Amino acid sequence: MILSAESQKTIDSYLAALRKQLRPLRPDDANDIVEEIHAHIVDKIGGDNSSGVTTDGDVGSTLAALGTPEELAARYRTDELLKRAQSTRSPFVSLFSLARWATLSLIGMIAFILSMAGYTVGTLLLIAGMLKLIYPNNGGIWFDPKPGSPPVNLLHILRGGMVDGSAGFSFGSGNNWTHPGHEVFRHGLAPFSLALGVLLIFLTFRLGTWCIRKFWRPSALRQA
Amino acid sequence: MKETAIPAIDTSEKFEVQLRKGSLELAILAVLWDRRLYGLEILRELESKSDLIVVEGTVYPLLNRLRALSLVESEWVESDSGHPRKYYRLTAAGRQRALEMTRIWTRFSSRMNHLLAHLDEETELISAMEARKGAV
Repeated sequence: MILSAESQKTIDSYLAALRKQLRPLRPDDANDIVEEIHAHIVDKIGGDNSSGVTTDGDVGSTLAALGTPEELAARYRTDELLKRAQSTRSPFVSLFSLARWATLSLIGMIAFILSMAGYTVGTLLLIAGMLKLIYPNNGGIWFDPKPGSPPVNLLHILRGGMVDGSAGFSFGSGNNWTHPGHEVFRHGLAPFSLALGVLLIFLTFRLGTWCIRKFWRPSALRQA
Repeated sequence: MKETAIPAIDTSEKFEVQLRKGSLELAILAVLWDRRLYGLEILRELESKSDLIVVEGTVYPLLNRLRALSLVESEWVESDSGHPRKYYRLTAAGRQRALEMTRIWTRFSSRMNHLLAHLDEETELISAMEARKGAV
């Protein structure tokens, strides 16, 4: 098989672009993938050509069948990311993977939203517990029931002033503050808030990992 | 109540895509059943022996994934063509998975064929009538 300088250049730049796109992967894995794709291109061009002379058109159609380097790398990257998420112990890797998955499927989006909610509430419980330990009188969580409003929307986590009575999570600062409702975690229950926060983050992490293991299908299957 | 018509072609295409999606993994495990093959050979086998239209850029990431799941293993082998090729072969877990999937597939397709038998006759009848009309 004879490759023209132009064809060789096209292949080289395709592989260089692919290698660049595969940077988030481990170098050995990226090398392995690039080598395999290189072998595929050479075999495909050689196999499709009985004349032994390769045209730019042969190279173009072979590369087109693989997709752009970005598309091809994205399939490997997503698979690698979600594969890593199945065995990771980091909530950040898990959440990042779920965010990527959320762009690809409805189940991914639901898992991501649930995880975001779990991590947010867990983190707020941790913050509230810590504030309670540091500022026993004006740090913590309060319900601020207002007529006609569901209580779940009326959580306040505060340290000091600035309560405008609006619904939702609130943070504040200042000295002249009186809490707007009744307190959820009183002084002795700060450790409970901390423990609940840690537990919720842990369960959310396990839920995200379980969703990935249970429902995620490799990108190659989705795009076939 | 007003009914919304779904374009028949769109629905048929989606149905076909879903069928192919579900069978690609099994097809790859099947072609690797009794021998080791490299990527392009797998593609050629799928093209010649199945009705699957496989996009080349999707098979390699899938092989990578199957390897990560320990269903296949790979090795680089020097070839006469002057460059090494990455060969894939089934692992014991891959064989197990292929058998399980085949069992499910066979049971499912057998029941579906039974269910669709009378529709098949209808389809043949309609085709014959259309052919006759065309001839006239």
